Amino acid sequence: MRRNGTSERGSTIFEAALWLPILLVFLMGMEQVAKITYTYYAIKKIEYTIARYVATQQGVNFCAGNADPSILAGEYLGLTGTTDNSGAPFVQGLTFDMFQVNAERVNATGAITACSCDITGCDESVGGGSPQYISVTIPSGFPVQPIIPFLTVQTIPLVPTVKVPYAGT
Amino acid sequence: MDTRNHNNSRRSSNRSRSLRRRETAPELRGTVSIELLVIMVPVLFGLMGFAVDLGRLYLIKGELNQAANAMAMSAAAQLNGTAGSLETAALATNVTLDPSLNDENRYNFGSLGIGQSNGILSSSIAAPQFYSDLASATDPTSTNYADGTTAQYAQVSLQADAPLLFWSLLSLGQARKTSVGAFAVAGISAPLCMVCSNEDFAVAALDASDPVNFGFTFNTKYTLYFDCTGTNTVALLGDSTALLPYVLIDRYNPNTSLAEDQQLFRIGAGGLIPLPSNTNGTANRALACYAVGALEYLWGGAGTGGTATTPAACNSAASNPRVVDMLCGVYSRFDDPNNLSACASITDITDIATGYAFDTDTNDYDDYTVYGGNGRRIMTVPIVDALQTTSTGQMTVLGFRQFFVTPTPNPNTGLGNDPSDSHGRFTAIYIGSVAPVKQGYFTSQLNSFPSAPAAACGITSGPGKVVLHQ
Repeated sequence: MRRNGTSERGSTIFEAALWLPILLVFLMGMEQVAKITYTYYAIKKIEYTIARYVATQQGVNFCAGNADPSILAGEYLGLTGTTDNSGAPFVQGLTFDMFQVNAERVNATGAITACSCDITGCDESVGGGSPQYISVTIPSGFPVQPIIPFLTVQTIPLVPTVKVPYAGT
Repeated sequence: MDTRNHNNSRRSSNRSRSLRRRETAPELRGTVSIELLVIMVPVLFGLMGFAVDLGRLYLIKGELNQAANAMAMSAAAQLNGTAGSLETAALATNVTLDPSLNDENRYNFGSLGIGQSNGILSSSIAAPQFYSDLASATDPTSTNYADGTTAQYAQVSLQADAPLLFWSLLSLGQARKTSVGAFAVAGISAPLCMVCSNEDFAVAALDASDPVNFGFTFNTKYTLYFDCTGTNTVALLGDSTALLPYVLIDRYNPNTSLAEDQQLFRIGAGGLIPLPSNTNGTANRALACYAVGALEYLWGGAGTGGTATTPAACNSAASNPRVVDMLCGVYSRFDDPNNLSACASITDITDIATGYAFDTDTNDYDDYTVYGGNGRRIMTVPIVDALQTTSTGQMTVLGFRQFFVTPTPNPNTGLGNDPSDSHGRFTAIYIGSVAPVKQGYFTSQLNSFPSAPAAACGITSGPGKVVLHQ
């Protein structure tokens, strides 16, 4: 009886040893997919925060990009929850220079166009009007490296975009 | 004792069961892995569904919510109290989904367009609904719709199919997709205590005790003229029915490189100049905004370097150069001010005028609600307690109301207004506070004006801005 039990136990262990790596890969893969989903959504929310912050500021120089204090403050707000970058970052490795804030407006034919950096565009510093829409993008993507045992997976660039109307609260 | 007996009997039955099992164990041995497979696969897929599919559903819900928010705000910004505003608002709803710049709002990791079909996955946008009260707007089932003249809230609802990966292998998810919805309401906010980037033509309240309209009548066409002293000889323009004097409040900005005439032109063309963003927000706001309760001076009276603009005698035939500059800006809402010799003296007018598009509807109306333009002719002006005629006189801002500029054909071009008019006259229809303003604050924000209330300013009526309500 004891011999019988031992051999049964042994085969179960053997089977488990066969299954375990596959199960591990499945579990780890699952976790990585969930992590990527979470990171993507976190960045999307950060972009929405930046877009809404910039869309409610006055006199933003969109042509200056991150050199504009309002745009930079918006990016810090999205990244850390504080406009002066004093908080802890929500997403590790994500930095303000990865973002691009675009000013856009609807032209006479109803199509949306990017604002030019002159007096006819949205450059308020030289006399242009205000934009109508703000979009925030990550042009080169935020790279995420999935870690799955026994497998080499390439980094996945996350490129969420958010577009909101200009003005409001 | 009873308990022990009970335990004993259970133990013995356990033993007999385990004996039976061991007897048959050799037969089962080979099938354990099949059993495990059959039981584990659905369980595993179900569990993986929680990580992969549920996570993606959560993401898609968030993406759709953001898209719906942007659509609702975009639509609500177009609701300006005209009959045609619902049409322009409905068009504006889809601007944030326009793929031409590759940065539109999408869903499912940005792979699927909203309002499009892609294989088995489809998404739809319900026609936006418009309401005049917030309670109806936030109720998804309300049919209490408003027409363009009263609508102030836009309601957007989206529905999109989310793909299922692991749950589609279970009997519950055989459709391989599930529907996710999003709902957003945006509209006018509470009245603002501080309005920014508005126009500088301050008028006195006809009746300061009227909290809603300050004694003005909706759809009444006024001849606005630059305030003057002595016996009033100013005549009505066109088919307007009442005279209304205005003054220019000092918003001369010494910190900008723009000349005074350029500043005046730009304020007349597009409202107070938004200053370059910097860390000193309060100083910026003081020059680019008006606050209820703040004390104001005539242009040039605040000591910041502007040329004094005090009203002259009514029988004087000379027009005030500062008023001419600003009226050239008003003209830019109808036509290119370069066509007028009166505006030629403004520094670099050929360049700065190109920044201001004309209104898409420049017709003369007696009823504001039939106007169908892009809102360029709507001005938000400060209402003060009484106009002052000296540089040192102080005026208190009571609130903000809107006027709709109507054309009084220029003798040279037949369009717009006449900036060289000796009394600075133009006509405008009083429209209350129908259109949302671009920028503003619910509190006065001005530390430098001790007289301005620090918190809410106690007004119950006035223009608001577009905010998200749900």
